[in-house]
Amino acid sequence: MRYEFRISGHLSSAVAGAFPELDEVTVPEETVLYGPVTDEAHLYGLLVRFQDLGLHVVELRRLPD
Amino acid sequence: MAEDAQLHPSGDPLLAAKFAVPAVPPAFVARQRLLDRLTEGAQGPLTVITGPAGAGKTSLAASWREADLAPGPVVWLTVESDDNAPGVFWAYVLGAFRYHRVPLPDGVGSPSSADNVDHSLIVRLASALAQLPEPVVLVLDGLEHAGVHGIAAELDFVLAHAGPSLRLVLIGRVDPALPLHRYRAEARVCEIRRSELAFTPQEAAQLLRCHGLTPSQESVGALTDRTQGWAAGLRLCALAMQRTDDAEHFAQSFAASQNAVADYLTAEVLAAQPAATQDLLIRTSILSHVHPGLADALTGRDDGERILGRLVRDNAFVEPIGDTSWYRCHPLFSEVLRAHLRSRSPALGAPLHREAARWLDGHDRLTDAIEHAAAADDWPYAAGLLVDRLAAGRLLTGPDSHRLERVFRSMPDGLPGAAPALAAAACAMARGDATAGRKHLAGARPNGDATAECLLTRAVLRLLTDADTGPGPGTTAPTAPASASGGDRGGDDCGPATEAPVPSRGTPDPDREVRALMERVDRERLDRHPEIEALRLYGRGRALLAAGHRPEAREAFAAALAAATDEQTWTVRYHSLGALALAEAVDGLLREAEAHALDGIKAAEEHGIPVDRRTPRCHLALASVSADRGDLTSAARHLATARSHPPARDVPAAAEAAVLRSRLELAHGHAAAALSALDDVPVAADGPAGAEVAGRIAVARCSVHLGRGDPAAALAALGEAPPGGPALAVASAAAHLAAGDGARARRLLAGLTGGEPVAPAVRVRAELLDARLTAFEGDTGKAASLVAGAVRTARPHGLRAPFTEAGPWLRHLLARVPGLADAGAWLTGRSAGAGKRPVRGSGSGDTATGSPLFVEQLSPRERDVLRCAAQMMSTDEIAAELFLSVNTVKTHLKSVYRKLSVSRRSEAVRRARDAGML
Repeated sequence: MRYEFRISGHLSSAVAGAFPELDEVTVPEETVLYGPVTDEAHLYGLLVRFQDLGLHVVELRRLPD
Repeated sequence: MAEDAQLHPSGDPLLAAKFAVPAVPPAFVARQRLLDRLTEGAQGPLTVITGPAGAGKTSLAASWREADLAPGPVVWLTVESDDNAPGVFWAYVLGAFRYHRVPLPDGVGSPSSADNVDHSLIVRLASALAQLPEPVVLVLDGLEHAGVHGIAAELDFVLAHAGPSLRLVLIGRVDPALPLHRYRAEARVCEIRRSELAFTPQEAAQLLRCHGLTPSQESVGALTDRTQGWAAGLRLCALAMQRTDDAEHFAQSFAASQNAVADYLTAEVLAAQPAATQDLLIRTSILSHVHPGLADALTGRDDGERILGRLVRDNAFVEPIGDTSWYRCHPLFSEVLRAHLRSRSPALGAPLHREAARWLDGHDRLTDAIEHAAAADDWPYAAGLLVDRLAAGRLLTGPDSHRLERVFRSMPDGLPGAAPALAAAACAMARGDATAGRKHLAGARPNGDATAECLLTRAVLRLLTDADTGPGPGTTAPTAPASASGGDRGGDDCGPATEAPVPSRGTPDPDREVRALMERVDRERLDRHPEIEALRLYGRGRALLAAGHRPEAREAFAAALAAATDEQTWTVRYHSLGALALAEAVDGLLREAEAHALDGIKAAEEHGIPVDRRTPRCHLALASVSADRGDLTSAARHLATARSHPPARDVPAAAEAAVLRSRLELAHGHAAAALSALDDVPVAADGPAGAEVAGRIAVARCSVHLGRGDPAAALAALGEAPPGGPALAVASAAAHLAAGDGARARRLLAGLTGGEPVAPAVRVRAELLDARLTAFEGDTGKAASLVAGAVRTARPHGLRAPFTEAGPWLRHLLARVPGLADAGAWLTGRSAGAGKRPVRGSGSGDTATGSPLFVEQLSPRERDVLRCAAQMMSTDEIAAELFLSVNTVKTHLKSVYRKLSVSRRSEAVRRARDAGML
């Protein structure tokens, strides 16, 4: 499974480093993090990690394999 | 905030962090609209406050509590990520009530750490809450950490049954897994969500003013807009603006920046701190609770106290924990700090964890130290701490067992050295997997310079695995009690027919090894670990039991109880009670067995022993007591309860369960089922407790065959068993007597008399056999006095079963000899004084005074007739139903009356029902 997460705002390298498994693209006002997600547990783990760091997930979608 | 010396004797940050109401931040803005909402919500059963980290949820509830707006006392529990095991969660809920001095009725119990919790505890808690005279607000803060679905279901149950006094306030980042739609539909929930918690521009301006800032209205609007009214964001803004010369400029550049709000602001605030503060914050981000001394250990400086104190005064997301000298960081901030630690110095994590472990170990916080050692991935160090601090027993018993088990469950296999192998063995045994434990133990080979603690840990674990799986190669069953416990008692191998197998000597006895090693360990350390001695005695008892030394095993279990006095020994105390009760029940010490079994059941509930770590022994003991007292209905009930427990992992307890099933089947006249119940037991002569179990099963088989009138089969069943103790000799005598060989029976009984005192269960049977032989020989007077003696032995325990099983000769004797009237009255339960026994607890296992207990087995046809009679059928109808003549029915009924010692049909039905015959 591959997922894409749109996060509101740009990320510092320290915070982006909390998601080493995801690649990062910066677009205006948002950061797109994308990459392989192992399973549901991993997905929810990522969402918790976003929340822990105070990040807002604007959009999340599964990418075609 | 209650100062309860018992709860945080040394300012334990864990307890204070959980129970103390968090301090309201210095520059907090009280917002009346939210306080009013909470006051309104607390009029009803449930208030839910949800929002992201830093939305001001906790501060709202804490300020509400401080403003004294609650309708009653506030009981506060901060749920942390360690608490998601249900047993732990509910233990803390109960702890919170104690901490905040809101008394709950006694008997709710207090679960130890547990992976699951007995539902009866939740029921008791709910009913205790329902009895509260005035409203109590229970605040559960951080409920997202209690992620297990079971907790939500239990909360729902408590809410539904706790009555109107409980006002629950749930605080979390995510919606609780309660059926909120239902509460909404019933208008029973007040929800305060993110949109309500958000600051309006006016409130934001007020917050900034509290920080000594007076920005322009545009700046306030821009900040509120950019942060969407997020409380933590606004506070971070205030902190950053305090440290800039140009607050307006900060507001503009923040509003214009495209960075994520939390990321930008925390980075700004962190960057604004002096280098030493940044370093301290980042290094201590690995801790959930920070102590100034621990911070110094991690930074290598001595400014921890000063920096932490300043951060608190500056309102910089660090707060003191209760009235201890510990601090904690706002969760949002500490998460960002951890991200900075990873990105700035990724290699620093493990050394920091190791340093923290060292400091915590030095300050008597062993479980925390082990967790950090494991977080550093330094397994030799973690396992070394466990073994060298003599804490391996705490994996098996006590409140930290689940935390330690969770740590060592993730330890990789095959690490070199004795300590990791010992830790793995203890972990496997904590899960109840004695076979894996034994395998790990075999790999634990301490080298020459191993510490005494290491050797002792190994010896204790080996003693306990032996108890479960039987002694392995290199060890032997405990040596004869006379030598092992100081000659207090001889073995029970006495008499010609009872040649007990002699254990091979010369190999080390684990129990003796443990005692020798305990001498070598530092006295003070040993005193802090009472669980070692308790576990030793428990293991010794189990080993003695397996070797067939039941009286000595009872002494060992009783000694384990005496040694198990504090919370570290809860689990072992419970298991010792169960083992002791069952051993006593088998020996016919029914009063003691009943008392210990009830104590054990109570202990399990009060200490919240996890359901999957309970033992069926307590209920087996009660079933055995009931059966011996002739109360078959209760016996069946206890046996069913015992079967709902996880099966005993050792063969002896499984054998007792089978023997009891067999006895009950036989009492109901199902000889075939009684025999097949015994086939379930895996009797391996070379397995653990092989001889002992084979003997118990053989005696039970013999009873079944005698019950169905087949002495030859009874003798054959006994012939299969290895030669054993007095129980076997008495069974053998009974079988020979039934087969007509009175002389042989007499010889077997004579072998018993010279020996050691035997257990009442066996002694009563021997005395009755002796009486029967004497009666056969024609000496009625002597037989009567022998029966009277047997009654004297049996009566204190209410041990009626041997008389019931004895056969019709006894009843004839009782009827003929006037001197036995009193004994007969006791046995038939007809006299008022008959059933008086001191009974502890609720009296389960006790039969009502005067209940019929002395009954002879009915034949299948008599049973059919009685069953018809029980359906209110007349004699004619019974005859038609069973295709018998009326006279035959009458004959059967008369015979039933005689056997049940009654004179009327209704009485016969009632008595047969009470005896479990119908």
